[in-house]
Amino acid sequence: MTLRSVVVVGGGLAGVSTASELRKRGYDGRITVLERGGVPYDRPPLSKSYLDGSKNEKDIALQPEPWYDDHDIDLRLHTEVESLRASEGCVVLGDGIALPCDRVVLATGGSAARPSIPGADDSRVHVLRTTEDADRLRAALDGGKRLLVVGAGLIGAEAAATALALGCDVSLVDPVARPLEGVVGRGLAEWLHSLHTSHGSTVIEGGIAEFGDSVAGLEAVLTDGHIIGPFDAVLLGVGMRPETRLATTSGLLVEGGVVVDEAQRTSNPAILAVGDPTRRTVDGLLRPRAEHWEAAQLDGARAASQITGTVPPVEGAPWFWSDRYGRHVEVVGKPTDGDTAVVRGEFGSRSFSVLGLRGGVVVGAASVDDPTTIRAARRLIDRRTPVEASSLEDPNTDLRKMLRGLGGDNGSEKS
Amino acid sequence: MSEGVRLASIDAIAVGEGVKIDRSVAGTADDIALLRDDDGQVYALDDTCTHETASLSDGWVEDGFVECPMHSSKFCLRNGEVSGLPATKDACPHRVEVRDGEIYIFPGEAP
Repeated sequence: MTLRSVVVVGGGLAGVSTASELRKRGYDGRITVLERGGVPYDRPPLSKSYLDGSKNEKDIALQPEPWYDDHDIDLRLHTEVESLRASEGCVVLGDGIALPCDRVVLATGGSAARPSIPGADDSRVHVLRTTEDADRLRAALDGGKRLLVVGAGLIGAEAAATALALGCDVSLVDPVARPLEGVVGRGLAEWLHSLHTSHGSTVIEGGIAEFGDSVAGLEAVLTDGHIIGPFDAVLLGVGMRPETRLATTSGLLVEGGVVVDEAQRTSNPAILAVGDPTRRTVDGLLRPRAEHWEAAQLDGARAASQITGTVPPVEGAPWFWSDRYGRHVEVVGKPTDGDTAVVRGEFGSRSFSVLGLRGGVVVGAASVDDPTTIRAARRLIDRRTPVEASSLEDPNTDLRKMLRGLGGDNGSEKS
Repeated sequence: MSEGVRLASIDAIAVGEGVKIDRSVAGTADDIALLRDDDGQVYALDDTCTHETASLSDGWVEDGFVECPMHSSKFCLRNGEVSGLPATKDACPHRVEVRDGEIYIFPGEAP
């Protein structure tokens, strides 16, 4: 059967990547991207260069506006989807119009989680997932205000660093002493978290029981009874809520996310799903939601490969980056899966990495301003190249040469 | 100008690596990334990634592409064409000639 029409619901990275990859892979039928907001944009800058005002909405567009026409992609903005009628092969829009299609790709993203803490509905309590969220937060921080960031994961840490650079008085509260420990390991998690205090933010270990109002501003009552504050604004950086309404109402399998197979197909093969709200089944195991930038892009490529019958992208080690206080952090694979941790470069210096090895192969790496090691590690992981911890540790070992098989076990010949 | 601008000797760039040449030396609007592919060929692109501010000369060079060291957008060494987000604009390529082991570029000339 020749497919003539694909509808992508959602214009985030996963949705736009799906459309882009369909064209790259030679699909010449109709592509419609339905987006409930404005022109699709890239989210990573929302806690960094967009939040501090150095980039505007046009700068962070996922693709320049003419790109959609150039690729014959029908991008419909401010368009809601009411329901999917899979058996009839159509998508029903908010205005009741039915859009016929052969395949639907759900790229519905999600919203920032707002835990049910008393007082969290105060207008001074912010979240950060959209440009509107970022605009509101920036306006609230104008002129160097007192900000409490709840949650010291990636977005919380990035926003705290940005707010500090904007001249704010920043406090950061998290229930654990070393956020990200499960991702980067204990030592690096501790070091990354310590950047907050060394740059002048205040770090508090604790959970929030409720937010309360005082004449001086918002206060937060911690679970141990301590009161912190007052603050002018609070940012909740406590994760996302996957948007699964259409999947649920269409009777698709949803378990903490839209369940998809290796090729991004949902429990209805005419409906695929990509990006943050999905959980992929690989080798019979249901994975947690990935919720990372590159993962969303790869989902789109996989969905397009399934639809077009072309070769799917290579399954490589997952990779993400984050920035705080001018330091660029990257993680590839699962560093904490290793039985041996190897530090390359001087720990805590201008540029260094921690690599995890298991059974003589690299299983993950986390780096600070050390992009070459991450790119080498990624290839070492994917190729399962046997390596010696001692040669990885030696800064004179040229990892690029190691990968090319020239001098893999000896860097000492270099001056 | 017909002979090009001499930037470096080929031995100064290891295979699979890049070197940044200041714009004042190259006579170009941006600094120049001289990038040497696995097969030894040398290419020249504008050094600043078209996405943000990373230096492509610090990127990973392999199989005809350079991968940006910040967010891993890939650019074709031959023509600068971008093949992966977050960058959406191509990098500006410059024609390169190697004569007697010296690298010359022709700023603004398509390869």
